[in-house]
Amino acid sequence: MNTKSSKNVMIDASRIITEALVQSGADVFIGYPITPSNLFYSYSKERFPEFLAGPDEISVLQWMCGYSAAGKIPVTATAFPGLALMTETLNMAYMMELPMVLIITQRLGPSTGSATTGAQGDLKFLDGIISGGFPLPIFSPSNFNDAWTLSNKAVKTAIEFRTPVIILTSKELVMTQRSFNINLLEPLEQINRTPKVVEPPYKPYKAGKDRVPTFYPLGNNEYQTRFNASTHDNDGLIRKGTPESLANTWRLREKLEERINEYSFFELDADDGADDLIVTWGVSADASRDAINLLRKNGKKVSLLIVKTILPISQNIFNIIDSFKTVTFAEENMTGLYKEMIFGKRKNSKVKVATKFGSMLTPSEIEEIVN
Amino acid sequence: MEAAKKILTNIKMPFCPGCGHGVCVKSISKSLENLGYRSKDVIIVSDIGCSGLVDPLFTTHTIHGLHGRSPALGVGVTLGLDNPNKKVIVIQGDGGATIGLQHILEAARRNIDMTLVVINNLLYGMTGGQMSGLSTNEFKEYKHSNDDADPYDVVNLAHQSGAAFSIRVNNISNFTDVLEEAIRISGFSLVELSSLCTSHGMKKISEMKHYIVAEEKLTNNRSVGVSIKRNTASLLDKSKILTPQFTSKINDSIGIVIAGSAGGGVQSAAKMLAQAAILSGLYATMKGEYPITVGTGFSVAEVILSKKPIHFTGLENPKVVMVVTEDGWNKVKNRITNSTKVFVDTKVSYNSTFITKDFLKVGGKKGAALSAVSYWIKESGVFPIEALFKVVEDSKYVTSLQKAIKGAEELRELVYADRK
Ligand code: SF4
Repeated sequence: MNTKSSKNVMIDASRIITEALVQSGADVFIGYPITPSNLFYSYSKERFPEFLAGPDEISVLQWMCGYSAAGKIPVTATAFPGLALMTETLNMAYMMELPMVLIITQRLGPSTGSATTGAQGDLKFLDGIISGGFPLPIFSPSNFNDAWTLSNKAVKTAIEFRTPVIILTSKELVMTQRSFNINLLEPLEQINRTPKVVEPPYKPYKAGKDRVPTFYPLGNNEYQTRFNASTHDNDGLIRKGTPESLANTWRLREKLEERINEYSFFELDADDGADDLIVTWGVSADASRDAINLLRKNGKKVSLLIVKTILPISQNIFNIIDSFKTVTFAEENMTGLYKEMIFGKRKNSKVKVATKFGSMLTPSEIEEIVN
Repeated sequence: MEAAKKILTNIKMPFCPGCGHGVCVKSISKSLENLGYRSKDVIIVSDIGCSGLVDPLFTTHTIHGLHGRSPALGVGVTLGLDNPNKKVIVIQGDGGATIGLQHILEAARRNIDMTLVVINNLLYGMTGGQMSGLSTNEFKEYKHSNDDADPYDVVNLAHQSGAAFSIRVNNISNFTDVLEEAIRISGFSLVELSSLCTSHGMKKISEMKHYIVAEEKLTNNRSVGVSIKRNTASLLDKSKILTPQFTSKINDSIGIVIAGSAGGGVQSAAKMLAQAAILSGLYATMKGEYPITVGTGFSVAEVILSKKPIHFTGLENPKVVMVVTEDGWNKVKNRITNSTKVFVDTKVSYNSTFITKDFLKVGGKKGAALSAVSYWIKESGVFPIEALFKVVEDSKYVTSLQKAIKGAEELRELVYADRK
């Protein structure tokens, strides 16, 4: 209920995410405008301590890598066509272990598709975007509160795990304005960026128990540092197929999988005794929240799982899904891409999908599939 | 500056015997030492190809990136460090220079304070000696195709784009002197060094032995490109606070579509409606739809007002549709059902079940949508029209907005007059 003590504004998630990233310590926004990520571009121009307009998406991400290697936290926002151009450099950033945040606003594809129509169609591309099938943390906010807190977690995860992190949104989620009480936004965690103390000699890719090498930026006066996009040893020098260099590459997967619970977020609205579960993410979460209310009003017992760390998938998600008799996936794409991450393409009597292509999936459509 | 430390490691050169790359690397390190740079003040950015094997040869910081992208990576490092005491040197070959030509032009355009060394061996060494975009047409015999397009002149291209300094030297020049001159420059400097490839070029291309590239030196007197840092204020603080001060009679939720033409104030009328609703204690959502070319065609806005928090923001069956132009009508007419309450401008359509009014006449081209909104607020009594007056109060167009709202009130009075 709106009360006199609320601080109500009309606001969109682009504004909330931009503000949260800056408050979390992101230093610079480097972008090339693309619909429906344009609001990020204009808000960032107003808010980031540093803002650069790149001439194309490849340059944007390369510049970001340079900033990151120099010790800054860079951010960009794009959509699929831009992401496609950034893919080579995203792999480079991943291999070099450079912290940064990429906001991807999904729109209807394939190709340039419909720039102003929302979608949830980029998940599978992102799942395989790092050659070799390496995990990449992808956060998908489901509402304004998520937009705020997950942006903070994105910066934190990028720094603590030395990795690019993606915030995966959709047109309707970041462009729709809503009344919102900004007093509900909690103060954000301040992220420690002081490098851990290392025993010399410093080796730029030598990791301890936490599997993450200590980061020293290019140009620092203490240690010589090296970054490398090719298979490299602990010194950061190209080494093809040595046990040390291969272990170093394996470590990229291990650091993110062994500590997955540190950055795996979800929301479970459990209904006691329910056999049915709705699993959803991103823009379809709000329709699912309404669908749950409709179903429960009609006496149906049903639980709702909103996945927020959409990739990599933690064991907790599998365990929750396994504990229900039937599962309905609610997603704004053709076949249920998240469903396919969990169950594959094969038909499964336990699994249903409520999907929509080219417009928003509605609460009543989800309700119908669950029933 | 502290005494210079050796920039070159003791590691054996990884290049084929006699390859010109070794001379280039030694000259780069010598020039840095001569200028007094310490290892930790230098960042070598390397590319892919034979020239990309240089990292272990330097005691400096190094970053080894992708093919052709190293000038862009160098731009990021330079701007990210923002420290004139640190020197960024990017090294790439002729293959990299053509893949990432745009990156070179952009670094030059911005006059970024770094030095790009293009080691041009006139072919792709690592993949077997194929011709590159910087190869010369003089190797006619060796060319595999009928391609006789002239090579790029990267020195001139960088110059045209604004590089402070760009130079091409042949293999009889003193590279160290040239590099020192380039590194000393503030701003973007490009040095194209000639390096003969012994494994492919000298063996397969008979003309290569005698080939001498034409030297070229160009300068621009420009200020160095920097990235501006500034203090900024919270985006949340800039949002208009809407404290409820009116009451609404809505108990559930209501979906409204407003349709008109680009430039007709449809989006701002929708936003003002939502804001007035919030001032009346309601929750609201608002989204717009328009063609990619925002200055022409339709403009449609969807607003949901609700007593309870709103989750799903889609609007399948709007309860109210307001249409002020033909463009808008064509876009939304299919969304009208028997239960939709339609407010339409007299000029657009007439249907006895619609409420047809002169919104355009009273509100003008830019205020018609707001007039329709005002009319609906009065007609439905959802909340007091004062809430809308309150919203427009601090707009710089306050007079014309008030006129549009009052115009709608006059239309209402005409209705009452009719009824009397
Ligand atoms: S292939 Fe040619 S350019 Fe490459 S290292 Fe050997 S001689 Fe030098």
